[in-house]
Amino acid sequence: MNQNFVEIKANLIEGKTTIPIDVKYTSKYSFLIRFLNSNSFKNGAEFSKLIIQMNGRSFELGRCQFLSEPNIDGYAGRLIFINDIYDIESLMFDNKIVRLQNACLNLPLILNLKHNIAESFHKYTANLTYDLSVYKNLFDNLDAEYSKEPEHIRNSLQQTVINTIGREFMGFLDDKLLELEQIIRNFSKDQHKDHGFYFRKQLWNTIICAPFMTRTNLKPRGYAGDSDMMSMIYANDYRGNSTYSKLMHKHPLEQPAAQAVRNRRKIIAKMIRNLNKDSNRGNNKKLKILSVACGPACEIQDVLISTKDCKKFHFVLLDQDRTALYEAARLIDHTEKKLDTKIAVDYLNESVRTMLAAPFLKNKLGQFNFIYSMGLFDYLLPPVASAVIGKLYQLLKPGGQMLIGNFHVSNPSKYYMEYWLDWAIYYRTEEDFKSLLMDAPSADVDLFFEDAGIQMFLHVKKKSKPDFDSKNIQ
Amino acid sequence: MKSSIKLIMKPKWDEIEKIRNKSSNFLVSQGISNNSIQALTMVISELVENSVKYGKFLSPKNTVIINIHIDENIVTTEVINPVDNTVFKHLKKLDKTIQWIRGFQNPLEAYTERLRVVSKKPLNDEDSGLGLVRIAYEGKAILDFFVSEDNFLNVSALSNS
Ligand SMILES: Nc1ncnc2c1ncn2[C@@H]1O[C@H](COP(=O)(O)OP(=O)(O)OP(=O)(O)O)[C@@H](O)[C@H]1O
Ligand SMILES: [Mg+2]
Repeated sequence: MNQNFVEIKANLIEGKTTIPIDVKYTSKYSFLIRFLNSNSFKNGAEFSKLIIQMNGRSFELGRCQFLSEPNIDGYAGRLIFINDIYDIESLMFDNKIVRLQNACLNLPLILNLKHNIAESFHKYTANLTYDLSVYKNLFDNLDAEYSKEPEHIRNSLQQTVINTIGREFMGFLDDKLLELEQIIRNFSKDQHKDHGFYFRKQLWNTIICAPFMTRTNLKPRGYAGDSDMMSMIYANDYRGNSTYSKLMHKHPLEQPAAQAVRNRRKIIAKMIRNLNKDSNRGNNKKLKILSVACGPACEIQDVLISTKDCKKFHFVLLDQDRTALYEAARLIDHTEKKLDTKIAVDYLNESVRTMLAAPFLKNKLGQFNFIYSMGLFDYLLPPVASAVIGKLYQLLKPGGQMLIGNFHVSNPSKYYMEYWLDWAIYYRTEEDFKSLLMDAPSADVDLFFEDAGIQMFLHVKKKSKPDFDSKNIQ
Repeated sequence: MKSSIKLIMKPKWDEIEKIRNKSSNFLVSQGISNNSIQALTMVISELVENSVKYGKFLSPKNTVIINIHIDENIVTTEVINPVDNTVFKHLKKLDKTIQWIRGFQNPLEAYTERLRVVSKKPLNDEDSGLGLVRIAYEGKAILDFFVSEDNFLNVSALSNS
């Protein structure tokens, strides 16, 4: 038995009197006690202190009360604490005095933050919260109106509500977004942080209505932009268990930044398919493709349309997140079944931050015809981004190409993402982005944007020979 | 305005104070404000402490390297130390912790959450696990890292001066 369950000598103090007792750990918040020297006390007796001697140290706990409970293993009853609530488990096992009220230590820090909030922002948030609750009421009442209808009728009625009043509500949200931008556009970085924090605390009930916003805020896998969030962006549909939830879910997915994510998927697929055409002229070797921070790698479905396509590529998919790799594998599996063929794919579960030192990179990964990374560089600071891009460049075969995405500083959804979604990324200018490639002098680099003009792509070609024909791309 | 300094430090606790002084002298010479110098010195100390604590200095030649780079109003600090396979567990934790902290637009959330957890931790646990969240919250810096092919850990912190 653990020695912490044995009896321990202690003293209760009341005024000038010291009362020797034995205490035994019994529950997280109380002790069993036995009075020594034939002392006895009435139920409810109070003492100013309890002093416990344990492992050569003395621990002093505050005001406590005796609760008489005869017949428990010969103990007189329990001791509970009435001014502070102590975590007895921490005391017995870790020798540390922890008060339940420690949870309140941070309170001033958080409560005082509101003093940093601009008056106009207070007003904005209060009005928005009010308006949203009015809309929520409206949509909830409509939901209730037809809740008794059969499912298909309900769905059709809901769709009509969404397409009419729902779209008007979306327009209202757009207007409020413009208003927000007016208020915060001259804020400093620190002001954005505080106002964002305050905003999310005030709007938390709305945020957790919407599956997408809930996920971006809570980040259940420990990082932003996980494969579930990506899937929601790709699907861009109405989700949630009420009309109001569905609308709040859909609104962020219609923002330009989300459209940029959908656009980039097409760009990648097109580029890989063009490589495929390119290879028609040459040998039969499979084209080796590396996707870095691949996520669910949905774009591969757009690449592999026929059995013939499948024979042309060998994909290597790298991601830090096993769940994302499983999802990618499921999609590949689905394509294999659909086309009744095998696809060459290797999965690597590794973080890009430790990848450069990983043994597989040194030994068996080989070189690639095409390397791409879409939603990664938005999270890498310059020293890390340079190191990673430099290594990826080395991994290209002569004549190979690389496509790297990064959101541009002008992203019009920046504040939406930061304030509503708690999703802050590292933005770059064209110059910032290009400067990451300093260590690749023999590279042929161009930079372009997807159709929404928000996400940049660094398109790098490694020279093979002087007469390399680069016209086949795009 | 662009300028930088490279400092080299033996992996010893009593060297940390010297690095604090040298880096703060450099920042003063570059006209950085007092508030920023205080924050940056804290960031550098926490990073260097971690290097001494978790780095693998197998040969006497192994050192901690500190690069401070100023470009306009951005200060990038890189702290570099050797690692090996035995540090793997810590690198994983570093990776997870940095991504977790950066997952909040306001690092106050990470900071208060860490304080809450720390207040429950045993006394004999010497790692309070507060260093990185302090860098983000009090130091107002964004953190990142990578391990190079030749097994050097490079932790960087980016701050506005
Ligand atoms: N230079 C480093 N090398 C390897 N691992 C590191 C390094 N820096 C941090 N870590 C890992 O990240 C964890 C968090 O670091 P952090 O500085 O926040 O806390 P700590 O060092 O454990 O405690 P404290 O800084 O409060 O004394 C560490 O416990 C360690 O596992
Ligand atoms: Mg530390």
